[in-house]
Amino acid sequence: MKKIATIAVAIACAAVLLTACSGKKTAKGGAASAEAVGYTFGEEKTFHSDNPVTYSISFSDASWYAMQDTWKTEGVFKDIEDVTNVHLDITSYDSGDYGQKVNLAINSGSATYIIPKIYSEDQYVAGGGVVAVSDYTQYMPNFTAFVNKYNMGPDLDTIRQSDGKFYRLPGMHQAALQDYTIMVREDIFEAAGYKIRELEKDWTWESLHDVLVGVKKYMVSQGMCKESDYIWSDLWCGESGKGQGGNLLKLMGASYNVLSGWAIEGSNGGIKYDWKKKEFYSSSISDDFKKLVTVANSFVKDGLLDPETFTQADDVAHNKFYSGKTVIMSTNRSQMANDIAGVQKILGDSAKCYVTAYPSGTNKNLAETSRLECGVMISQKALDELGQADFIKLVRFVDWMFYSKEAYSLCKWGPEGKTWEWSTAANGAKVKKLKPGFKCGGLGLPGADTDVDIRLKWGYAGGNYFYGHSTEESTDAFTPEVQDLYARYGKYKTVATVDPKAKPTEDQREQLNLWAVPLIDNINAWTLKFVTGQKDINKDWDEYISSCKNLNVDKIVALTNEIYKKQ
Amino acid sequence: MEKTGVKVKETNGYIVFKWFNTIIMLIVCAVTLYPFLYLVAQSFSSEEAITLGKVNLLPIGFNVETYKSVLVKGEFMHAYKNTLVYSVLGTILSLVFSCCMAYPLSKKELKGYKVLTKFVIFTMYFGGGLIPNYVLMMKLHLINRIAGFIIPSLLSTYYIILMKSFFAETPHELEEAGELDGLSPIGIFIRIVLPLSMPIIATMVLFNAVGYWNNWYNAFLYLDKKEMWPVAYYLKTVISGASTSADPGEATAEKMQIAANIKSCSMVLMALPIICIYPFISKYYVEGMMLGGVKE
Repeated sequence: MKKIATIAVAIACAAVLLTACSGKKTAKGGAASAEAVGYTFGEEKTFHSDNPVTYSISFSDASWYAMQDTWKTEGVFKDIEDVTNVHLDITSYDSGDYGQKVNLAINSGSATYIIPKIYSEDQYVAGGGVVAVSDYTQYMPNFTAFVNKYNMGPDLDTIRQSDGKFYRLPGMHQAALQDYTIMVREDIFEAAGYKIRELEKDWTWESLHDVLVGVKKYMVSQGMCKESDYIWSDLWCGESGKGQGGNLLKLMGASYNVLSGWAIEGSNGGIKYDWKKKEFYSSSISDDFKKLVTVANSFVKDGLLDPETFTQADDVAHNKFYSGKTVIMSTNRSQMANDIAGVQKILGDSAKCYVTAYPSGTNKNLAETSRLECGVMISQKALDELGQADFIKLVRFVDWMFYSKEAYSLCKWGPEGKTWEWSTAANGAKVKKLKPGFKCGGLGLPGADTDVDIRLKWGYAGGNYFYGHSTEESTDAFTPEVQDLYARYGKYKTVATVDPKAKPTEDQREQLNLWAVPLIDNINAWTLKFVTGQKDINKDWDEYISSCKNLNVDKIVALTNEIYKKQ
Repeated sequence: MEKTGVKVKETNGYIVFKWFNTIIMLIVCAVTLYPFLYLVAQSFSSEEAITLGKVNLLPIGFNVETYKSVLVKGEFMHAYKNTLVYSVLGTILSLVFSCCMAYPLSKKELKGYKVLTKFVIFTMYFGGGLIPNYVLMMKLHLINRIAGFIIPSLLSTYYIILMKSFFAETPHELEEAGELDGLSPIGIFIRIVLPLSMPIIATMVLFNAVGYWNNWYNAFLYLDKKEMWPVAYYLKTVISGASTSADPGEATAEKMQIAANIKSCSMVLMALPIICIYPFISKYYVEGMMLGGVKE
C-alpha cells in the first residue's frame, strides 16, 4: 500500500513538473491576413480608432521634469488621444526605479500593454512575459519602411535571440549619433598657446596629454592653480560610472578597440569581434587594453586627471569646472548648453568653452556604433487580453506612435502652431523653431525665465516616447553649435562597423552570465587600479591576465565562438 | 555604620586612560557629526557658495529661502503628511497586532504552543520572496493603498519575541487574582497585563514609529502614485533617481542639476523630528533592547 502511494505521489509530482515546465506560450499569429476593421492606419497615415480605446502604458518619470496633470489635460497625452482616439492609461514609475518596477510588473503578470524605455530585454525573454514582436512587424508599415529604407536588417540581427526573434522594438537611427565628448576652456587653452580648433583635427589622447601638461604649466605660472592641483576632474565616471570607469574610459576604449567603462556592460568581459580572424576575442586582456590603461594612467601619473574622478559624485566635477578649478570635462549634447551657461554664470562671459570632437587613439572611431537605442516591449498580457485582432490593432498604434514622422514630431515638438513654427535658417533651409515665449530643456533650447518650458508644462520632448528616426528628424532641434560639432565628427572621426552578435540559448546565456559577472568585476577593479596607478601596468600585467584566465575568460571566448559558428 | 567618605585615588594609568578615552570619543563624535553639520550648513547656504566649494561647517551666504521654497513645495509637504499618517497608523496597528500575537505565545500552556512558536520563528529566516509577495499584494488589491504600505511591515518576529519574553515575566499571581475576580483572558490582558507592560509598549512604539518613518522600501514596491509617497521615498527619488537610471549618462545629461542646497534641506527636514524626539526617548531605546532578556 505504501509502495502504491509512493508511486502515485511520484507520478503526480512529475505531472505537475511537466505542466509547470511546459515553456512559454508560443506567440500566435504571424499571418498577414488580418483585416483592419474599425481603425485606419498605414505608412505615414494617422492611426485613428473609430471607437475610443484604452491602452495601458508605462512611463519613466524623471524627477527633473516630473509628469504634471497638464500633460493629460492639455499636453502630449491629450494630443495623442485627440489624433488617434486612443486613451493612454499611464502607470508611472520613478525613473530611478523604472527598470526594477517594470521587472517586477512583468514577472508578476501585471505589466502594462506597452512598455517603453527598455534598454535590454534579455532578462524577460525566458519568462514569457513579453511578446516576440518580430512576429508582428509585418503589421507595422512605418517600422518596416524605415528598416527597408535605411537597411536596418543587420542592426536588428544584433538584438535577435537564439530563437531568431526579437522581443524589443528598438529606436532606430538612420546613422549612429555620438552624444558624449570632451569640453575644454578655450580661453585658457589659447592663452597657454594651444589653438584647440586646429588641434582637434588630428589629435590623439597622447597629444592631449602633452597639451594639458603645457596648459597646467601656464596655469601654475599665472597663479590659477598649484602644482599639486589637478586640472581635469571628470563626471560620469564615479557614482554614475558604476565602478567601471564610466564615460571617459568608454570614449578612450573605443579609440583603442577596447570595450571599457560603460561599454563593458553586457559584453561578457569585453568580447569583441576580430574581423580579420573572423572570431571573437576578449579585448580586456589584449595588447590594446594595455595601451589604453597606459594612456589613461599617464594623465593621472602626471598630475593632470584627478584619480577621484572614478569615485566622486558628478556634482563635484561640475562644481570644479564651473568655478574654474578645472579646464576640461566631459559633456554631451543635452548637457553642453547647461555647462556653458554654468561656467559663464560664475566666471563671466570671458570664460569660453569649446565642445571638441574628442581625441583618437589607434583608430578614429566614435564610441557609438549602434544605430539602435532603447525601445518598446509589448507584454504577453496584451495578447492574452485583447485577442489576435485587437492585438494587431495595438501593434499598429505602437507603429504609429513610435515610428511615424507625425507622432515623432508631435511627441517631440508638440502640435505645429501651438509650440513651434517653420522658420528659414541662415543657409536657407526650412527648420523647426519654437515660437516666442517657449523654451525646452529636453531639446537644449534655452529661453528666458518667464518662457514656458514645453517639456515641463506639456510633456513634449520627454525621453519616453520619441526615439531614433532619420538624421534630419533627430537633428532638427540641434543648435548651430551642436550641428557644427556633428559636422566636425563627420570630418575628423569614423564610425566602426557593428560587431556581429552570438545568440546563445537560455542555458548558454545563463552560463555566460555566471562566468561574466565575476570576470567583469575583476576587469573593472584592475582597470581602475591600473589607471589610478595603484597597480603597475608592466609589473602586474601577468597577474592581471592570470586573474582573468582564472575567471574563465577563455571559456567565455570559446563558448561565444562556438555559438556563433553554429548560427 | 557611618560612611567614612573615603575617595579611591585614581591611578596614573587610569587618568591617562580617561584622557585618552575622552579624546578618542571626541574624535569619534566629530567624525560622526561632521557630515550632518555639513548638511545643515549647506541647507542654509547659497547655491553659488556650494558650487564654489566654499561651504564647510558654517553656512556661507546665509539664507532661509531654500527652506521656504521646500516647505511651500507641494510635493515635499504632501510626502511629509503621508509619512505622519503612515507612522501613526502603522505604529498603532503594529502595536495592537503584536500584542495580540505575543501574549498568547507567552503562555506555555497554550495548545500548540511549540508549533506556533516554531512557525513564528521560521518566518525570521525564510520569506516568500519578492515576486510572490508582490503578487499577493496585487491580488489583495493593496497596490497604491495605505494598507499596502503598512501591512507588510506590521508584524516583526523580532519584536514579537521581545514582547513575548516580557509578557512571560508578568507575575502569574496577578493573573490568577484577576481570574478569581471573574475576568476573562482578554480582560486579564487588557486590565492587568497591559498596564504593567508600559516599558515594552513604549519601546515598541519607538521602534515602530522610527521604522515606519524611515521606510521607503514598501513605497518603492507598492506605491506607484507620487501623491502617496512617504518623505523617505520622495527624498530617495530626488537624490538618487538620476544616478541609478538605466542609462546613467542619459539620465544625468538630461537632468537639470537639482540644487545641492535643496537636497540637503530636504534631508534635514526629514531627519529633524526624529532628532528632536530622540534625546527624550533614547533611554527607552537602550532599555528596550534588553527588555526581552531572561531575568529569572
